Amino acid sequence: MRWLARLSLSVVLAAASEAASAEPLHAKIDQLIESQATGVEIAPSADDAEFLRRVSLDLAGRIPTVAEANAFLSDKAEDKRSVLIEKLLTGPDYPRRMQELFHVMLMERRGDNDEWLKFLRVCFEQNKPWHVMARAILNPDADNDELRGAAFFVTQRLVSEGAMAPVDVPGLTRDVGRLLAGVDLQCAQCHNHLTIPHYYQKDFQGLHMIFENVQTRRDVQFPAVSEKVMQAKKEFKSVFEQVALQTGPVVPGRGEVEIPVFEKGEEFAVAADPKTRKPGVPKFSPLNELATGLAAKENDIFTKNIVNRLWFVMMGRGLVEPLDLQHADNAPTHPELLNLLASEFVAHEFDIRWLLGELARTNTYQRSSMLPGEAEPPRESYAVAIEKRVSAEQLYWSVGIATGRFDAVRRSIRKGLVDAKKPEEEIKTIDEATLEELVAKSDELKTALADFKTNFGSGPKEPEVEFEPSVKGALYLMHESKIQKCLESGSATLVEDLLKTETDQAAIDHLFLRLLTRKPTDEERQQLASYLEENKERRSEALANVAWAMLTSTEFVVNH
Amino acid sequence: MNPQFCNSAEHGVSRRRVLGAIGGTTAGLGLGALGGMVQPAVGEELAKSDKQILLLWLDGGMSQLESWDPKPNTRFGGPLRSISTSLPGVHISELMPKTAKLMHHLATVRTMKTEDANHSSGVPKILRGHPKNRGVVYPFWGSAVAKVMGPTKSGLPPYLWVKPGSGGFISKYAGFLGAKYGALALGDGKPPTNLVRPETLSEQNANERRELQQLFNQRYAARRRKGSNEANSYVYDVAEKLMQNQKLFDESLLPDKDRERYGKHDFGRHTLLARNLIEAGVRFVQVTSYGWDTHGDNFNAHASRMPKADQVYAALIEDLIDRGMMDNVLVVMMAEFGRTPRINGSVGRDHWPNAWSLSMTGTGIKKGVVVGETLADGTDVKTEPYDIGAMFHTWYQAVGIDSKKVEFMNGTQPLPIAHDDMAPVKELLA
Repeated sequence: MRWLARLSLSVVLAAASEAASAEPLHAKIDQLIESQATGVEIAPSADDAEFLRRVSLDLAGRIPTVAEANAFLSDKAEDKRSVLIEKLLTGPDYPRRMQELFHVMLMERRGDNDEWLKFLRVCFEQNKPWHVMARAILNPDADNDELRGAAFFVTQRLVSEGAMAPVDVPGLTRDVGRLLAGVDLQCAQCHNHLTIPHYYQKDFQGLHMIFENVQTRRDVQFPAVSEKVMQAKKEFKSVFEQVALQTGPVVPGRGEVEIPVFEKGEEFAVAADPKTRKPGVPKFSPLNELATGLAAKENDIFTKNIVNRLWFVMMGRGLVEPLDLQHADNAPTHPELLNLLASEFVAHEFDIRWLLGELARTNTYQRSSMLPGEAEPPRESYAVAIEKRVSAEQLYWSVGIATGRFDAVRRSIRKGLVDAKKPEEEIKTIDEATLEELVAKSDELKTALADFKTNFGSGPKEPEVEFEPSVKGALYLMHESKIQKCLESGSATLVEDLLKTETDQAAIDHLFLRLLTRKPTDEERQQLASYLEENKERRSEALANVAWAMLTSTEFVVNH
Repeated sequence: MNPQFCNSAEHGVSRRRVLGAIGGTTAGLGLGALGGMVQPAVGEELAKSDKQILLLWLDGGMSQLESWDPKPNTRFGGPLRSISTSLPGVHISELMPKTAKLMHHLATVRTMKTEDANHSSGVPKILRGHPKNRGVVYPFWGSAVAKVMGPTKSGLPPYLWVKPGSGGFISKYAGFLGAKYGALALGDGKPPTNLVRPETLSEQNANERRELQQLFNQRYAARRRKGSNEANSYVYDVAEKLMQNQKLFDESLLPDKDRERYGKHDFGRHTLLARNLIEAGVRFVQVTSYGWDTHGDNFNAHASRMPKADQVYAALIEDLIDRGMMDNVLVVMMAEFGRTPRINGSVGRDHWPNAWSLSMTGTGIKKGVVVGETLADGTDVKTEPYDIGAMFHTWYQAVGIDSKKVEFMNGTQPLPIAHDDMAPVKELLA
């Protein structure tokens, strides 16, 4: 990947000049997007309601509550969108949302681990720079209590899947390339890539040998790895030519690393301890070379990978697609923009929160998802906001909030404590519990969260990119008893609240604001009023039916 | 223009009528209880067709040398022998004794020559029929058939995919046709959970919910890009159809004799389910068997895999004959390529698109033919090579679709359903 190394210098230089310029990034982004969106009709800005729903899903991982919606929609301040973005980025939901997002992105639903989730949570609570996170993943430090769980990225991929499926080191190699450098080297495992001229077998083999040298530690309970002593280059052959080749460890985007030679007996910085079974620490750590070399500001593919992924998260399309296929012949749709994002991200010390904020402030992000005319403009024009997949987690929190199922569970736990005459202090902890804490206290809510991941997440190892609804998801929402409960008074507050409204009109307005974050159109108001009027003898059923239809509508299940 | 002459504009008009139907919502499923979505009256001729397709896909690339085109006692022949078949003079691998007895019911092509030796790009190329590049993403075969022919009158989803591992709705296979023509994958052949409506939800409420949902969706979709709402609506439509066919998925209802004949391994169980899905009226069923990428230890791998494929294929053909289904079901067994004659350092065979084989039978196909011949050592074709595009023409023709006339509509742009420079292989057509 020598071409990639050459590119990096220009990025560093560009970084210096961009940082000096006063114009904020979001304004420059809009200029670059709009200058390329010629010949298409650009949609107007989303109205406040659509913007609020979108940005809440993106940065808080859930739809807004009725109170939040009322507050934002009645706010007259000119800068209220910018204020809201800042509030969400520094709010209590942000670390949870980012944890969920990066967990799915990096682990692709291979399984959960508390230490790993703690690593992600801590990083986003403290807004750790991305290169620090990536280095923690690639060269985990078992002595750092907060970050050591990052090793799960590697250890979970080194778990054997049974006798017929040996440990998939090539799969781990591939994922490091895909997820941290945006290059999928899989096809270069056995030969230089046939159709991508810059993916070499040496790149794959040189990265692969770093992980062949890694072992999962058995002496500790948390995810941790150790390395063996690496002394020799690796021999490999192309399946086409059968000529013997060799390589040392290769860092994606940076090149081969020399293997230092130590006297026999001098290889270890820390010797192994047979008593505790603690493995030794070699003086030469290929993982350290990988971590510091790959996750570095000089490494263009590292930076571009993450800014492309964050752009995708906010805008619904990568500047480079597929997200893991950066190479010279797969040009970004907006090359100058990708360079700009990369250089500014480096200039801002890999600050994910800052970049998400700048993206959210763009007109590009804030456009309406409604087509301005008959034609569907190309997605890459960003002339109309692109609808995005709502993750299983976003859907879970949103359904629970909208139906008041969480409120009802809180109420019932509280009642249990009051009936048992528990002290005020304990009752107060329930009143103040976050939604996550509430879920931790309820087996049913916990199971439901797992259900949502199964029914609305992709399978293990399948990246979640586009909106791909499934029949199993539809059947879950149609028939699952936990969903039915969300629509019953007693076990959720939505229908209870609706039954308390004095007029059908008030009930309809409440439904729309609470579930869809908007007002009904006149036509909708009329249609629903006549439906409720016709079924007034069975009002709670009719209201539950309307609520179900809203919850399962496309408007609810995609982020628009 | 002289009205006496048959002018092409008139053909254009009549053809466009068919195209309009295909470009419309022929594949929209009747919704029964809702009544809101009506099967369009146009295009009924195609929709009424009772032709169906069953594709057995050997993912990773089955070796032609250990199956349809053995070359024993040659440089690259490997250790396995060949056996005679029910077709005089035709030999296939000794790993396929059951199929050998049925060769007179099959058509075999031994001169497939395609372009791509990668799995990641080769699989989609073959499954799309490798058409000319028109700047659009072409649909996989099953999605194309779902679009062109729609569901059968059974109303079942037109494209089901039985596979090991997880299931779900795979919309990306539909390419430019739009999400709803994607594959419904039945992971490990299992139906989706929650298929049964709980007693606490009355039929009336269930119906009203769907009608109201439709109302919200229509309003939302009126001003949005098509894809999301199509996909979301479609999964609910499919869910309802599957609810009406719950018995199909109950393995305990299958006779033991059938389960023995197909084999209790995944490929056997999944193909038996596929047979039942076809019988129930699914338009296109694909069964995938993974693990054919035998770069190492090719011969032991085929010695273990091939007899299962043999068992499955033979049982299926016998059933189609017994049940009189050969006249309306097209069956194809293939992979994305074959394997190299050259045996590599790991006693494996690598990817080989240059000269490989596939098999077909059923409706519209001539029985008991072997088309094409490879060189004595199998390193290349000796007679005319066939690209997958020619096969697509042949298969469309076999199920009664004129692949030279019927086109997709991508907006206003007509696109051929198979490679425009290629044609059906006449020797394969009955």
